[in-house]
Amino acid sequence: MSVLNYLESLIPQLILLAFALVLPAFDYLLKDKRFLSGIALAPLIALAAAIVSWLFFGLWTPPASTIPLIELDTFSGLFMLVFVSVGIVVVLSSPEFIRKDRNQGEYYALILLAITGMTLVAEGNDLFMLFVGLEISGIASFALSGFRKTEKRSAEAATKYFIVGGFSSAITLFAISIVYGVAGTTNLNIMGTALDAAFTGLEGSETFLLLGVVLFMAGLGFKIAMVPFHMWAPDVYEGAPTPISGFLAAASKKMGFAAFFKIFLFGIVVSKGDWEVAVGALAILTMTVGNLIAVSQTNIKRMLAYSSIAQAGYILIALPVGTQYAIAGGLFHILTHAFMKSGAFMVVAAMGAIAVGERLEDFKGLSRRSPFLAISMTLFLLSLAGIPPLAGFASKFVIFSSAVYGSISPGPEWLVWLAIAGVLNSALSLYYYARVIKYMYMDKGPTGPLKPTPMIASAIVVALVMTVVLGVYPDPVISACREAAELFSGLPIGLG
Amino acid sequence: MFAGVPIVSIIILLPLIGALVTFGLGRFERYAKYVALGFSLAALVLSILVGLEFIVDPDPTAPGYHEGFRDPRGFGFFNFQYYEEYTWIESLGISYIVGLDGISLPLFILTTLLSTLSILFSWDTTLRPKEYFGLMLVLEVGVLGVFSALDYFLFYVFWEVVLIPMYFMIGVWGGPRKDYAAIKFFIYTHVASLAILIAIMAMYFQSGSGSFSMEAIARSSLQLDAFGRTFQIVAFGALFFGFGVKVPMVPFHTWLPDAHVEAPTAGSVLLAGLLLKMGGYGIIRVAIPTFPTGAHELQILMAVIAVVSILYGALLCLAQTDLKKMVAYSSISHMGFVLLGYATFTELGMVAGVFQMFAHGLVTAVLFMMCGVVQHKCGTREIPLLGGLSKKMPAASTMMTIGFLASLGLPGLVSFAAEFMVLASMFQTWAFWLFLPILSVAVTAGYYLWALQRSMFGPLTDKIDTAHVHDVSWYESIPVSLLLVLIAIFGVFPFLIFNFISPAIEIVTSLPGLLGGA
Repeated sequence: MSVLNYLESLIPQLILLAFALVLPAFDYLLKDKRFLSGIALAPLIALAAAIVSWLFFGLWTPPASTIPLIELDTFSGLFMLVFVSVGIVVVLSSPEFIRKDRNQGEYYALILLAITGMTLVAEGNDLFMLFVGLEISGIASFALSGFRKTEKRSAEAATKYFIVGGFSSAITLFAISIVYGVAGTTNLNIMGTALDAAFTGLEGSETFLLLGVVLFMAGLGFKIAMVPFHMWAPDVYEGAPTPISGFLAAASKKMGFAAFFKIFLFGIVVSKGDWEVAVGALAILTMTVGNLIAVSQTNIKRMLAYSSIAQAGYILIALPVGTQYAIAGGLFHILTHAFMKSGAFMVVAAMGAIAVGERLEDFKGLSRRSPFLAISMTLFLLSLAGIPPLAGFASKFVIFSSAVYGSISPGPEWLVWLAIAGVLNSALSLYYYARVIKYMYMDKGPTGPLKPTPMIASAIVVALVMTVVLGVYPDPVISACREAAELFSGLPIGLG
Repeated sequence: MFAGVPIVSIIILLPLIGALVTFGLGRFERYAKYVALGFSLAALVLSILVGLEFIVDPDPTAPGYHEGFRDPRGFGFFNFQYYEEYTWIESLGISYIVGLDGISLPLFILTTLLSTLSILFSWDTTLRPKEYFGLMLVLEVGVLGVFSALDYFLFYVFWEVVLIPMYFMIGVWGGPRKDYAAIKFFIYTHVASLAILIAIMAMYFQSGSGSFSMEAIARSSLQLDAFGRTFQIVAFGALFFGFGVKVPMVPFHTWLPDAHVEAPTAGSVLLAGLLLKMGGYGIIRVAIPTFPTGAHELQILMAVIAVVSILYGALLCLAQTDLKKMVAYSSISHMGFVLLGYATFTELGMVAGVFQMFAHGLVTAVLFMMCGVVQHKCGTREIPLLGGLSKKMPAASTMMTIGFLASLGLPGLVSFAAEFMVLASMFQTWAFWLFLPILSVAVTAGYYLWALQRSMFGPLTDKIDTAHVHDVSWYESIPVSLLLVLIAIFGVFPFLIFNFISPAIEIVTSLPGLLGGA
């Protein structure tokens, strides 16, 4: 097998990489830096079109992977779709936001690099490939959050993110080494049988694996900002440039979930009995803490950061339930959250780009100043709160109902509490989302019309259309998510 | 006339299109009210035509007839007319199903009627008119959807859609404490909705039908005994709580006075006239027919809550000094009759419960509109500050008097027929316990007449400036007069509505589980 054969399966990554490498050069060639975003958009739109035409229209099927470390299936396809669509929204909204900054070529290059790493995580079926992907995207993200290096908040965010990220990577690596020690393989496909063999052959290996499980929970818990490993997220989201905050919340975090699903529900699912209660408890804790702290925030970016911690709690429900239907729900919520959360951040970015602040008070009277921004933000927030007929309702409906069904069959009965905690938290979250809506529509604030710049507006429109369409007609996406979840063939289906 | 026409969807769609047009008016904002009135009037006319064509005792020749399943033992699910079914989210077994039967049709027409009249009543709204009228139309879409949806997912979507326009109506166009009232309304009723949501999920999975259609799930429950006794009690309890908050039942009624006092008049009309009915409708359409055994086990609880709501609501009214707040609390008392009628599980009581929803919708709309008129003309609704207004506004005080008399149950007006039947059915079921709810009749007469005497009659007040108090405007008197005519017509000929309701209720009362049978 020649090298070219190997490279064939890496075409998406190679395209992204090529564009990432030439972008800094174009930075010197182009006078009008806004064209840089066009160059960065090209590979993303091409990839998105390719994935959509494959997943939803069945126009083509990717060939089988030529590398044992990666696999392109519906599951990874959906995750890649999340990453590139968030990439599109973020790149669209960036030119005006960073128009006064230097090194714009590197900015887009880093975004493409981060997405490259994410796609590797989406496709990887080997612990090492997952780790490499996490690192590639992690390092690019550290640099991105410190992009405005002269700004104190941005530099602080990058430092914090770097230290916590490095620490969590080390923990993850340690977990990988322990699992490798027990199973004798890092390949997720054969890990289940390898672990079974180890449990019967090697005394004490189950206990040893448990250590690996705990370390995975901590290491990946940092990536998805699961309580109690969430402290970094609000600081970083607040300090990073707003489009990047949206990128971190909507894409980076989802990469952590891709790894979490693959490792916990595929690789080490044999030990599910050992970790399901712990992950269930952490899910409830994550959503409750996220929502409770979000209530008291006065900065919109911090509020959205805590809200996305809470949303991570909802997605985590899929793990202890552990049915294919629950995974479909988790995937679906990851997808809808990517659009509604990035959309909300882009509204904040749009206001930042025209020199309006990030405090909640700055939203007062927004409905008079810019009806478009106000109605978009309202729809994003209502969708996050799970109000029908928006996307967030449809995906929460699938997740919560999977927990209800999980408690009926295959059990255990306590799973229903995940659904109850989820709906109570949704009601709690409505309080702080509705408060922003109140500021925008009911309170008097500064006057004078605001006009969002056209590219940010188009990014918001993309997210808005997806938020509404996925809510009103979610059928194709739910079907795709359920098909993706079928890859977890060892798990019960979980839908009557 | 409408055979083969998706008329229910068209009626739901009309106000939706109207809302989008209204929102998009831009600088032609001053035409918002004409657009809104036009679309809601079109929906009203079509729904009345549907009502005229509707076959009271349905047979297979009825347009869009869909017969509910029938168990060989004789019971089953409702029969619908104007039935439409389309697949929506196939992967989860969710369909778009709408249809009307004798229970929903009166409420469906009430919705188009009150929406149209409220838009007319708000003719002088100048604060952000395009949002105001647009939101009223969105509200109409949601309520129409709730009364016609026959798939639980669809039902829940419409149920929640109603919250958002009402939240904005209170929050933007409301009174001094609008912020508090709006958020309290939103969160309180949203929590209740979530109880419904969990119950819907649980019954979907427990039924094993793989479908969210109301009929499919009722079939699993009634015919296949998919729901055990405990499950029925828990699920019925969750639904009863969820719907009961909307009704509202004591002790979950505290959102209502706040929301009403702060809401603009048209908002109160829609809130009391339509939104409360959603709760009462959910109980009779969903909770009881799907979980008859659960209902049977909780019958006494339902009756107690109903009687407490009737009495406590009436007593609270006595203590109010704000005219509107008094009317708001009276809704708790009157909606208690709906619950009490249901709780008897007799045909008479359940028919009367549904009829009481219709009657209360008409009467309470008049009362809130008259409170709005008083507020508008006098600048206050505080009863101690008012007095002798009949000298200044004779037409208004006549309308208010008729409205109050209708609400306190004067024979010949619509509420009398409904409440009398509820009390009669209560006597059939629980005999001398009737003395409890019947106490409220005296209290109700007391607070209405007392309020009337203090505000409208007696010497003209000198506590407010009455020099500029005028009588009702044309856009206020038309809706009120129309409603008063309807109140009289249906008071004298209540069977015009009964005939619609009875055949549908017979299906509920024939359920063996309801009376403790298998």
